[in-house]
Amino acid sequence: MRRPQFEARSLFYLIIIVLVLLAAATAVPLSSGAAAKGKIVLAWHAGFASRWLDPQEHDGTATPDNFFTALHDGLIKNQGTALYDHPALAERFTVAPDSKSATFTLRKGITFHNGDPVTPQDVKFSYENYRGAKADVFKKKTERIEIVDDRTIRFVFKEPFLDFAILFGTANVAAPGWVVPEKYYKQIGPDGFKQKPIGAGPYRLVRHEPGVKVEMEAFDGYYRPVHVKQLVMTSVPEAATRVAMLERGEADIIYNVPGELISKVGKLPGVTLAPVLSGSFFLEFPNFQDAKNPFRDKRVREAVSLAIDRRAMNQAETGGMGRPTGNWINDDVQYAIEWPEFPRNVEKAKQLLREAGYPSGFDVDWVTPLPAFYSRGERIIAQLREVGIRGRLQTMERGIFFQRLQGGLKEWPGVQMILHGVRIAGSWSFWYEGHFKCGGFNSRDRICVKDLDGKFDQYERSINPAERKKLAEEIQRAILENYYLVPVFRHAFVNAIGPRVAAQKWQDVFPTITTGYAYPWEDLKVKDQ
Amino acid sequence: MLQFILRRVAYSIVTLFILSATIFLIVRLTGDPVALMAEASARPEDLERIRHQWGLDRSWPVQYVTFMQNAFKGELGKSFNYRLPVSELYFQRLPNSLTLGFAATLISVLIGVPAGIISAVKVNSAWDNVAKGVALLGLSIPGFWLGLVLILVFSVWLRWLPTSGSGDWRHVVMPALALGWYFAASMLRLTRSSMLEVLGSEYIKLARLKGLPDVVVIAMHAFKNALIPVFTLAGVNLVVMVNAAVIIEVIFAWPGIGRLLYEGIFQRDFPLVQGVVIMAGFMIVAINLVVDVLYAVIDPRIRLTR
Repeated sequence: MRRPQFEARSLFYLIIIVLVLLAAATAVPLSSGAAAKGKIVLAWHAGFASRWLDPQEHDGTATPDNFFTALHDGLIKNQGTALYDHPALAERFTVAPDSKSATFTLRKGITFHNGDPVTPQDVKFSYENYRGAKADVFKKKTERIEIVDDRTIRFVFKEPFLDFAILFGTANVAAPGWVVPEKYYKQIGPDGFKQKPIGAGPYRLVRHEPGVKVEMEAFDGYYRPVHVKQLVMTSVPEAATRVAMLERGEADIIYNVPGELISKVGKLPGVTLAPVLSGSFFLEFPNFQDAKNPFRDKRVREAVSLAIDRRAMNQAETGGMGRPTGNWINDDVQYAIEWPEFPRNVEKAKQLLREAGYPSGFDVDWVTPLPAFYSRGERIIAQLREVGIRGRLQTMERGIFFQRLQGGLKEWPGVQMILHGVRIAGSWSFWYEGHFKCGGFNSRDRICVKDLDGKFDQYERSINPAERKKLAEEIQRAILENYYLVPVFRHAFVNAIGPRVAAQKWQDVFPTITTGYAYPWEDLKVKDQ
Repeated sequence: MLQFILRRVAYSIVTLFILSATIFLIVRLTGDPVALMAEASARPEDLERIRHQWGLDRSWPVQYVTFMQNAFKGELGKSFNYRLPVSELYFQRLPNSLTLGFAATLISVLIGVPAGIISAVKVNSAWDNVAKGVALLGLSIPGFWLGLVLILVFSVWLRWLPTSGSGDWRHVVMPALALGWYFAASMLRLTRSSMLEVLGSEYIKLARLKGLPDVVVIAMHAFKNALIPVFTLAGVNLVVMVNAAVIIEVIFAWPGIGRLLYEGIFQRDFPLVQGVVIMAGFMIVAINLVVDVLYAVIDPRIRLTR
């Protein structure tokens, strides 16, 4: 009788032990730092600005997200194929049907790198203290912030705020939803924070040499497993040096391999090229509505489009790794429409020019490409010459170019063409607002199509998503059908991955479609693990 | 003597003042830095906010007066990009630049001076022709090209040296060679011409007539006198190498002052560019002042005539 009793008790204990182990395994998130191994060195292609380590001062460019996706985290973010709503520090969120509030629930047990818990108060502070790009929009539209409980926070708006989530969650547009520790931030001050940032991201800062290097280590308390122990980002402005670093094994990932080095890098043993689709290049005709401007005639603008050899451009400039596009707006933003690639037909272009009254073509005073993509401007000029449009290249320093864009029409007298290169994440409306709308930041008074601007105002006022989508599509179609802007191609931001990084294909390292950078960093792995 | 020194100090202050005004104006003539600090989807409100934050919405004279007031207190402003005082950034990078500058100077002296002496002593010989060829190559090979070739050979092919960055002595070798190469060529030419001039002078002829061996004539008499302009040049070169080795520092990702200046120019970081240029100017002015005073001490005619 004793034996069965013993067996029953043993079985009972065994079950208890198994249950306890199971509970422990499921309740405790995988300790990221403890499991992490190895090191990845990223050779960054420009200088480092310390402000990129502080999401509170996001400068609105598509650059800082490379850094604060490692050190910091947002409530929601763009990651993988999610444009803005990938749950991060918030395990879930809801936007009220009337778009007048949004409620976020934080994950359980999340902490900053210094061990302090991430609280709704930190979220509130980060939002209210945010002074980066589009801060005025958030401030203007927000009525109050309610801390509902120790994990829940609600943003209440004065009016329906349909773009809230997309602005809030797109790391390369704005960052009021990227959480900084209130206590530490106040204690060290904004400038101190930029030197020694503490965040809730997958990596914590170990060493920061301003402008030179950022050394990070996997953060044990992150809510997702972090596989690589050390992550080093080092600034190497010279492309040939970056390639040499990759070749010699000093770097594991390098950004921005220029066209002339692509074929060399592609042949390196164990190296994988990562041609991430990036900005869109398109042509603009400043003051095309002027009676004396040849581009006033739609047939002339169409002839320009027909004269351009997009595939040759793509091949020559990015080794064929970009994409000849139909739309001037990237397809990785909300409401962007798909559009077929524009054809090339030199004969038809000449015929259209004849019909428009330019049988011998005409002169364009200047063709100005985005600095420093001068060779693209030269190619456009050569292709247009085939149909009789004779242009001259105008090169500018980058800052001057933007300054003149913002100066409006007076800076672009006569007959001119501008070859823009733009990447804006989030929504199609940011593209329109910046580069087409009359009075827009970059478009100023160069393009003013009243009926489309009217529709855009209607879009901005509308709180009906279906109506907004319809208007967005109508406006984009009108721009393309009328050749107000002529899309050229989508640039490839060509990066390279070294042999130590574990990847079946380059998308394993660059899975986020809204950026050219290699985040989420916690998913990177090295082969010897 | 005191009057002479005071006059030279006054000249130096005026020089620095002109330099500060010039660099202040030049950086602003390049355009609005805000255009580079926010782009693409930025709104006018964003730009205004940034302008106000950095005091760029004030008039240029007001900005200049503020800048000078701070400069007198030893503050060169705060970098737009790094959010650190410019002086702090400068002194963080200075040790790296000094390391590179001294190493490059050493290389340029070790190559340039002996080659220049041999070239002068064996004038119009094969040695001289080789040295002239080396000088020509040194002056005509662009530093960035030489730097890339060095990386290719010593890092990629031979795997002897790291490609870039700073760390131990191995990191210094290639940038110092690429930087020192050009200066070695100029040093060689100056040493050669200086030695030729000295070797043709009366006191050298006298020394030879006295029957002194060639080695003694060259080492004890010619060499010492010929080296005065050479070492003056080496001193000026050192200041240039410390403050303006822009291309070499960029090629080798060397964290020195030249690269800091490059990044400042590229990002229109006005305070940074102003600060680095003024610090470099201050160094050059200070060295010139010391040299002038020393000349005056050595040769009293100078303080009477100048």
